Amino acid sequence: MSQHDHDPAHEHDQPHAEIGHAEKPGYYDLMETAVRELLVEKRLFGADEIRRQIEVLDSRTPALGAKVIARAWVDPEFRARLLANGRAACEELGISFYDDTQLIVLENTDTVHNLIVCTLCSCYPRPVLGLPPDWYKLKAYRSRAVSEPRAVLAEFGTNIPNDVEVRVSDSTAIVRYLVLPRRPVETDNYSEEQLAALVTRDAMIGVIPVTVEAGR
Amino acid sequence: MTETKHLLNRLPNDIGGLPADAIQRVDHELEPWEKRCHALADVLDFHKIINTEEKRRGVEALGAEMVGKLTYYERWIAAFSNILFQKGILTPSELARKMDEVAARWERDDSERTP
Amino acid sequence: MTDRSAKRFAGVVAATGEVPIFQIGDRVRVMTRRPVGHYRVPTYLRGKAGVVDAVIEPAAVDNEEEAYGRNAGSRRHYYRITVRMTSIWTDYEGSPRDNLRIEVFETWLERI
Repeated sequence: MSQHDHDPAHEHDQPHAEIGHAEKPGYYDLMETAVRELLVEKRLFGADEIRRQIEVLDSRTPALGAKVIARAWVDPEFRARLLANGRAACEELGISFYDDTQLIVLENTDTVHNLIVCTLCSCYPRPVLGLPPDWYKLKAYRSRAVSEPRAVLAEFGTNIPNDVEVRVSDSTAIVRYLVLPRRPVETDNYSEEQLAALVTRDAMIGVIPVTVEAGR
Repeated sequence: MTETKHLLNRLPNDIGGLPADAIQRVDHELEPWEKRCHALADVLDFHKIINTEEKRRGVEALGAEMVGKLTYYERWIAAFSNILFQKGILTPSELARKMDEVAARWERDDSERTP
Repeated sequence: MTDRSAKRFAGVVAATGEVPIFQIGDRVRVMTRRPVGHYRVPTYLRGKAGVVDAVIEPAAVDNEEEAYGRNAGSRRHYYRITVRMTSIWTDYEGSPRDNLRIEVFETWLERI
């Protein structure tokens, strides 16, 4: 295979470090690189767009969702706006949505407990929570969260009494969900930052409550 | 004659309510190529080269065996390749040649790194 | 996501799909057709009855068609419906009040 002339596509490419210099790229790693380089060569998009989107993705973590929840706990008017239009309320806090999804925030109360799932694929409120954990995308959670939510919750250590209604939201289209967990009772003196530090990703999926012991 | 229509009528990802094991709370840090693959999906959707729903259909179209055996992002990149072929944006040979070229480049760079 | 009742200005004719067919509180049933190729209504939901909980605005492209590259046209509403768990699963373990919420495209729903 000719290797003497420096490949013109390579000159526009990301540095070698991105291919993973530690060990030989696997089959699918090679496929991803090849597809990306070909599409950039054909000018369907720029290499900089991929780099930028990686930065966008890296900036989306559960800390963003935690800020939203903490604000809703301390500010009843924000909470009302959040429940009316989740995306608009997140955007108020500077959390942009880089896709066309909407957000419905689901309020847990003393009579209702919410849980979110995507049985068909892996829909998840990525702009405000980042990427979902593997277990959320695997078969066991996706099959059972809709048919035996209480057993699933129990596996996470969460026992919901029978007089509390369990609502499971299965995403299939444009809407994404975020659970607004209940604020722990012992947090009256907490600042908004201290409250946010208590809120975990799994509480915003609805599999566990927020407690003062748990933190990030 | 064995009834086969169930193979067509239920997609491999349509698993809500099917029996399954206890949940394993597994997670892993994305490999660099997986993160690039996710970014690629977002950029393809933004440009409407491959929209998100097309990606979902493309993954389903891999069929039950591949859906079961490939990992999450492996399914994505395989689906993207197939869809790009269908749309006439890439050809299988083009992709195969580029993959060989990328592999050869790595080998060359690796031999240069080794003292 | 608000309940937009069908206000009418005299003489204005709405295009197909512009005005939602169903409103919050309507009882609906998910149809039982069995498409091949691509669908976004899980098999577990087919034929189940529920109540419209929200009308998703604005009208949007049918995602089952979008999957084949059709990014425009065919705009209708998605509806979030509530279905009791005991309606879906014959051996459901939990409270009879437990329920599922799911978005369904207008062409998959019929009024009951």
